[in-house]
Amino acid sequence: MKTEPINRTSMWKFKLSAATMTLIPAAVGINYVAKALAEGLKLPVWLGSLGTFLASMLAGPVAGAISGFINNVIYGLTLSPISTVYAITSIGIGIAVGILHARGWFSSAKKVFVSAIIIAIVSAVISTPLNVIFWGGQTGIAWGDSLFAVMVANHLPVWLASFTDEFVLDILDKVCVAYLAFFIYRQLPQRMVRFFRDDK
Amino acid sequence: MTDQSMLSDESAGKSKWYNAVDPITKLLFILDMALLSFAGTNLIMEAGLITAAFLLLVFSKISSTTVKALGFSLFLIFTMLVIQGLFYSKNQTVLFSVLGINFYKEGLMYATTLGSRVLVIILASGFFMVTTTISENAKYLEQSGLSYKTVYVLMSVCYILPEIMGNMRKIQQAQRVRGVNPQRTILQKLKSVLPVLIPLVIKTLDQSMTRSISLQLRGFDNPKRKALKADTHYRLAGMWHIGLTMIAVVLIGWKLWTKINGLF
Repeated sequence: MKTEPINRTSMWKFKLSAATMTLIPAAVGINYVAKALAEGLKLPVWLGSLGTFLASMLAGPVAGAISGFINNVIYGLTLSPISTVYAITSIGIGIAVGILHARGWFSSAKKVFVSAIIIAIVSAVISTPLNVIFWGGQTGIAWGDSLFAVMVANHLPVWLASFTDEFVLDILDKVCVAYLAFFIYRQLPQRMVRFFRDDK
Repeated sequence: MTDQSMLSDESAGKSKWYNAVDPITKLLFILDMALLSFAGTNLIMEAGLITAAFLLLVFSKISSTTVKALGFSLFLIFTMLVIQGLFYSKNQTVLFSVLGINFYKEGLMYATTLGSRVLVIILASGFFMVTTTISENAKYLEQSGLSYKTVYVLMSVCYILPEIMGNMRKIQQAQRVRGVNPQRTILQKLKSVLPVLIPLVIKTLDQSMTRSISLQLRGFDNPKRKALKADTHYRLAGMWHIGLTMIAVVLIGWKLWTKINGLF
């Protein structure tokens, strides 16, 4: 049940090679279809960062961050303009996954759970100010927003209510995505893992 | 995504007035409109900005994508009006009551301001979304100095997505035929995601490898690669860029200045 972490000279080493150039759009595409699949099945999670996770695990934090950034920019310019600003969150997720994977925190099922919590915290910390600026602290997901409304009604600070709203949604989503990415990464053929890892 | 006007070259051929405006001017316009809406809390000004962006959209083109983006945001704005109208921390003045529940003026004003800003951004972005095509953006970004590799990464997403969606439909159909039915309880739905996602991701990454090898074989990394031929149908692009950038700088500077003054 264990996977090997990436053994490259530096996890920050990055070159826009032909392999990375085709991996990034594929990661954005995976993000998009995973989100569409979750919406289609009416799942209580987004799954929209699966491609970013996989890009970070395959080609390092910089490739993951670029995938996340482009994902939100393209999504923003074609479907939902406000999601462009959440590109900052996606960059944070990409970097966090890349670092955790390179340090071996995606090597076993137990470690993946810890990684998912760390990534959820990173995501919630970056998203909370954006939620407050654009949506008064809400996230747009009914049950998270109900929690927000209850906390605000009990005179708790908006920042705390917004962070809790975002974090409860993020923890569920990131745990699901982290395990999905972990299982999918283990299923990938070794030639594919080496192709995206070694082409530096 | 396949219904996007960005995927077709329809608008490029007809040469409407908005085709004479270059993509960077349109992006700077979105930035300026967003900064203007964040400059203050005056609702009349917000209404003016919404009207201006809406009229621009009406005189260019309205697509289903913009309507969908507006639909989702209007729902969220409605929930924001309810939550802030009831629970906003600075609520003092009761504006009206429904079934004995008081809605406060301060919260409703706050939610209306935030909602107006969101509408300004969506309508201004809508103008970009419906009036530019992928090929136009790709050519213009490369001519503007962005590396062709970056342009490829940005633009190939729009071409790859329909391919991945097609693959997903095929895999879903195949899994249903084999007896994996994704239409039941939440746990079963979560379990049913894996048999679709694993082959889909592997197929997508496999196609990326093939694409990567094709690019290398076609000499995509060749340093002597010729840049695309310049298009000259844009009017006053340079002037628009300078003007809109200056407006953005002034607005950011003014906002920072008022924030710093507010601290002392």
